[in-house]
Amino acid sequence: MKHFVRVAILVVVLTVLLGFGLDNMGYMPELASVQGAAIDDLFRKHVWVISFLFSLIMGFMLYSFVAFRKKPGDDGSGDHFEGNTSLEIVWTIVPLFIVLYFAYLGAEALAETRRADPNAYNITVVGSQWSWRFDYEDFGFSSTELRLPVDRQALLLLTSTDVIHSFWVPEFRLKQDALPGEGMERELRVTPTIVGDYKLRCAELCGLEHAYMLSDVIVMEVSDFEAWVAEQTEGPAGDGAERGEAWAQQFGCQACHSLDGSDRIGPTWLGLYESIETLVDGSTVVVDDAYLIESILDPQATIVEGYENVVMPPTGASMTEEQIQDIVEFIESLSE
Amino acid sequence: MAASVVDRTSYKYKLGTNRLGLWLFILSDAFVFGGLLVSRFYLMGNTRPHLEQTLGLVVTAILLVSSFFMNRAETAMAHGDQKTFLQGTLITLVLGVVFLVGVVGVEWQLAPFGPGDGAHGAMFYMMTGMHAFHVLTGVIFLWIVYRNGRKGLYTAEKHWAVEACATYWHFIDVVWIFFYPALYLIGTVVG
Amino acid sequence: MNEKKKVNFLTLGLVRGIIFQVVGALLGMGFTMLIRILIGLPAWNAEPVWVSGMFVGVIAFLIGVGAFSDWFKWAKGEETSDHHSADPSLPGWAKYYSISFDHKVIGIQYGITSILVLGLAGTFALIFRTELAAAKMQFLDLGTFNSLIGLHGIVMIAAILLGIGAMSNYLVPLMIGASDMAFPRLNAFAFWINVPGALLVVSSLFFGGFDTGWTAYPPLSARAPLGMQMFFLGVYVIGLSSILGSLNIIVTTIRMRAPGMNYFRMPIFVWASVATSIIGLTATQFIALSFQMVMFQRLLGMGFFDPGNGGNVILFQHLFWFYSHPAVYVFILPGLGMISEILPVFSRKPLFGYKWIALSSMAIALVGFFVWAHHMFTSGMAEYLRVPFMYSTMLVAVPTGVKFFSWTGTLWRGKISFPTPMLFTLGAISVFLLGGLTGPPNATVATDLHLHDTYWIVGHFHATMFGGFMFPFFAAIYYWFPKITGKMYNEAAGKWHFWLMFPAFYVQSLGQMRIGLLGMRRRIADYDPALNFDFSHLIITIAGFVIFTSVVIFVVNIWRSVKRGEVAASNPWNSRSPEWLLPTPIPEHNYADHPFEVVGEPYDYGLEDAPYIKMPSASATD
Ligand code: HEA
Ligand code: HEA
Ligand code: HEC
Ligand code: CUA
Ligand SMILES: [Cu+2]
Repeated sequence: MKHFVRVAILVVVLTVLLGFGLDNMGYMPELASVQGAAIDDLFRKHVWVISFLFSLIMGFMLYSFVAFRKKPGDDGSGDHFEGNTSLEIVWTIVPLFIVLYFAYLGAEALAETRRADPNAYNITVVGSQWSWRFDYEDFGFSSTELRLPVDRQALLLLTSTDVIHSFWVPEFRLKQDALPGEGMERELRVTPTIVGDYKLRCAELCGLEHAYMLSDVIVMEVSDFEAWVAEQTEGPAGDGAERGEAWAQQFGCQACHSLDGSDRIGPTWLGLYESIETLVDGSTVVVDDAYLIESILDPQATIVEGYENVVMPPTGASMTEEQIQDIVEFIESLSE
Repeated sequence: MAASVVDRTSYKYKLGTNRLGLWLFILSDAFVFGGLLVSRFYLMGNTRPHLEQTLGLVVTAILLVSSFFMNRAETAMAHGDQKTFLQGTLITLVLGVVFLVGVVGVEWQLAPFGPGDGAHGAMFYMMTGMHAFHVLTGVIFLWIVYRNGRKGLYTAEKHWAVEACATYWHFIDVVWIFFYPALYLIGTVVG
Repeated sequence: MNEKKKVNFLTLGLVRGIIFQVVGALLGMGFTMLIRILIGLPAWNAEPVWVSGMFVGVIAFLIGVGAFSDWFKWAKGEETSDHHSADPSLPGWAKYYSISFDHKVIGIQYGITSILVLGLAGTFALIFRTELAAAKMQFLDLGTFNSLIGLHGIVMIAAILLGIGAMSNYLVPLMIGASDMAFPRLNAFAFWINVPGALLVVSSLFFGGFDTGWTAYPPLSARAPLGMQMFFLGVYVIGLSSILGSLNIIVTTIRMRAPGMNYFRMPIFVWASVATSIIGLTATQFIALSFQMVMFQRLLGMGFFDPGNGGNVILFQHLFWFYSHPAVYVFILPGLGMISEILPVFSRKPLFGYKWIALSSMAIALVGFFVWAHHMFTSGMAEYLRVPFMYSTMLVAVPTGVKFFSWTGTLWRGKISFPTPMLFTLGAISVFLLGGLTGPPNATVATDLHLHDTYWIVGHFHATMFGGFMFPFFAAIYYWFPKITGKMYNEAAGKWHFWLMFPAFYVQSLGQMRIGLLGMRRRIADYDPALNFDFSHLIITIAGFVIFTSVVIFVVNIWRSVKRGEVAASNPWNSRSPEWLLPTPIPEHNYADHPFEVVGEPYDYGLEDAPYIKMPSASATD
């Protein structure tokens, strides 16, 4: 009996040390969403159960190492007992209830992260190798950074133009894969709670530059957000080329096309206009308006030599004719 | 357990071991076909590819009949009837080849789609292809059994190879009994 | 030395096999090109030509090594001798490099291959870990980094499968009193096919690598470089080995037990092996199928997983995890069996709750079939699947817990001593506990939304795999070393190995978990310096190097002890298991001259006059 009392004390001490130690070490990044709160609560419970079970088993083992170690010269055997059915039943049933309870908690917390606010506004999140684009459906513009008003639920509709990507902002805790294909859009609801700058990090290996597939996430006061929206919906001012530059910015073309002649994922736009491009089938074309428009609307129609393995997303499909025309003018302006 | 010492090297004991091995192999192989069926329903749901119905019925019938001859051959061998055994094996072999020609040689050519045409193309060619591959191995096995049978290597007591070949052949047949409706009968036609 | 043939390089099956493989691959490529010309295609198209060439190469290897020889004879109707080992005129060491049907030789072959492959995969890890030691790219390019993590993962997994092959091949027949496996030829075949398979997987590095990780999700894997195909083909082949090996273990256990060895008197490791084999036999087909489907999508444009061509990317994940989740229990069950095997010996006490431990292996294996979608909680699979899979996954904790509690019961009031095998066994329990307990947070969907694809998961699975395989594997090698070689390993070096590896492992794994929670994604070549992970990453890298060093000590220890270790007693640990009652070295036909009968319980330590087996002719050697 005295052995059990000592072990019990050891286990309690270890549990408290481990549990409080972990609780106070700040193992999670800052929490910045309503949905994340449910997740953090549950995780904290997990941490306590882990602390207890680890201490329980290690406590018994460590104690045994000391109390029941073989003394030098003692060649005898340990106590002879082969098992205990009631004990076995207890330690089958008790964990069974614990895990079922945790699964229940897990389902509750999941429901919490999926609770819908009827006033949520929609943003379509489009992943492409290796950049993100955000279409603000309700307002009719696109952006390469995700700006969200604080304390309002956003309903993100995730999709991809090529391979699987995954939406993850560690401070929001939520994660959801963005899948390619029709009818494969997936939902995620986020209600940010703290104004600030965060990073969206693609969490699914998506090829070469997966590591760098990041986007700025900016949570703003509602009034600032509204001002920004107004600015965006108004559309850029200036002549065609200037507007084109802004569109290219919004739609994220520069993720792949450089303006300074350097090689990125796609061909540079510097000096592109009126140059002669060699296509994969060996033919050549002179880059003119018609070719550019076609390249934007249907990127697969003509593929430039050396770019067989990367696919340009069909972003053009979600642009207006005027926008495309502006971009063409912008590209043209880069050859002057 | 009593201290009964079984002679582990006896033919009879080894036969039991071999049988168990073969059945486990079949169980394992069944998972491939199960996986294909699951994929078929996952991707195509309640639709099916456009196929030549008469041909499907004919090859299915041929395969079923071949199983009958296989069974006859095996029972004949178990009774030491060398002649019926060889006859049955040869007929099974021929029917197997006819089935292969029917599926790979005819149906594949007739089908109005290729392997690259959508889910039905992919599933149809993969399922029939994997099955045909198994039929082909079965035919080779039959050929070996037939040759060795002509040399008189099997007796009523010792003909494990014949039995294994028959079991395998029936298995291939059963697989087709699942594949045939999955490809030819269930759902509405697309593509 | 007397009358031994001088070893000609070409008499070694391994060498012949590799030559055949190269020649076969070339012939296969030529043949494919010929066919392409005949059907009017351009002769050269890298992908189909290389893939079919490599496939032929694998078969050629097996012909070269002689794995088919007997079967060809059977097909021709010729008789073959019932059981034989490698050419007896070769010197002792050479038999390990040629085909042999002796399960003990095959076990050693598996073991050596496993350690070699482990070293390779560990080296890959250290290369990319060095890159990760600081933010920014230092000396690797992105593509190489991505290929290295995937290769590290899959080659480690191959090392585990080979290690399990080693343990179960060597031990199962000995433990159940059989003279060999049920199908010795199949056994040899299943081993040798791993060699060309492993060569293929590693060769992917020279075909542009593959940037998908070991999970090879399409559509990324459908676009990856040619190395992807080599990866698929290699894993396919290794999977075949798993299937055939498992079949052999199950049949052997059912058919070849010694008189009196009923199921509940078998050593616990045999139970674990059978549970593992049930998974290996069936589920493996699904990974083969899923990889085959991607291979054909790439070769023939079949649209299984191509969203633009009628396919669905989620289907692949279901097929893949239907194998790859149960596979993780394949990795650990033999290891957990090992723990249960060694604990009683060094506690001098019966195994606590034998039946519960035996059946919990089965329970883990069976429940393991119904939890696969827990890897897909964030994947966008059908919503309604998430909750049921959460419940099923949580259930696995119950039978695993039974094992832990029973082990604690085994130690309680024992007479515990701590030689190297016991240290590794205890280390295994503690490390696996860490890994296991970090499983439930992943299994509850809500928390997994944060944890998925982070280093937390990386920490989780390194802990489970080290605890469930690496530590028990080393324990097993140290424990059976005297029986296998007749020599004793160096105890001091063994302790060094443990006391370096154990703490370093905790540092590595806990470090991974910590940065994972804080936002470190998996599979990234470079991380945002703003996250301040540099220091943690440096520590993890150093820990990795310490683990590597400890394994080097192990290899040196084994090497030197084989050459000039002390001669070991025939039963140094005073074990009750039948293999220890045989003379060392174990005769080629095991118990052929030492038939035994089971008369008691396997783990009745501490009971005088309660022997486990009765082996009349062996009493003289004891
Ligand atoms: C050896 C291998 C091994 C083992 C044994 C396990 C064991 C478990 N694993 Fe793990 N796992 C992996 C290897 C393994 N895993 C790998 C390789 C991956 C990543 C794959 C990849 O993406 O590359 C992974 C990923 C992984 C995921 C997916 C995470 C993600 O990607 O988002 C999940 C989710 O549920 C999970 C859960 C579990 C659970 C619940 C167990 C359970 O079996 C654990 C059970 C054990 C215990 C719980 C401890 C002892 C029990 C007690 C003391 C009783 C009392 C306990 C309670 C009441 C809780 N694992
Ligand atoms: C058994 C399985 C196993 C083992 C032992 C290890 C061991 C190690 N692993 Fe790995 N790991 C995996 C299985 C394993 N890993 C898997 C499956 C993945 C997922 C891959 C993916 O995402 O696709 C992974 C991924 C993975 C990552 C994540 C990569 C990423 O997502 O970016 C990291 C990062 O730190 C890592 C690190 C390490 C380190 C430092 C070791 C060290 O412990 C290594 C130490 C070295 C050795 C143990 C070898 C020593 C051997 C010798 C010295 C041999 C002697 C020589 C001869 C006989 C000639 N591993
Ligand atoms: C994911 C990377 C990516 C993004 C984002 C991207 N492109 Fe491209 N783009 C490419 C690649 C790769 C090519 C070359 C292959 C081809 O022709 O399809 C290309 C080719 C082009 C061409 C033809 C260039 C030439 O040299 O002939 C034009 C024009 C073009 N893109 C415009 C755009 C516009 C406008 C956008 C934004 C709305 C955009 N791209 C966004 C990758 C991208
Ligand atoms: Cu997109 Cu990773
Ligand atoms: Cu799993």
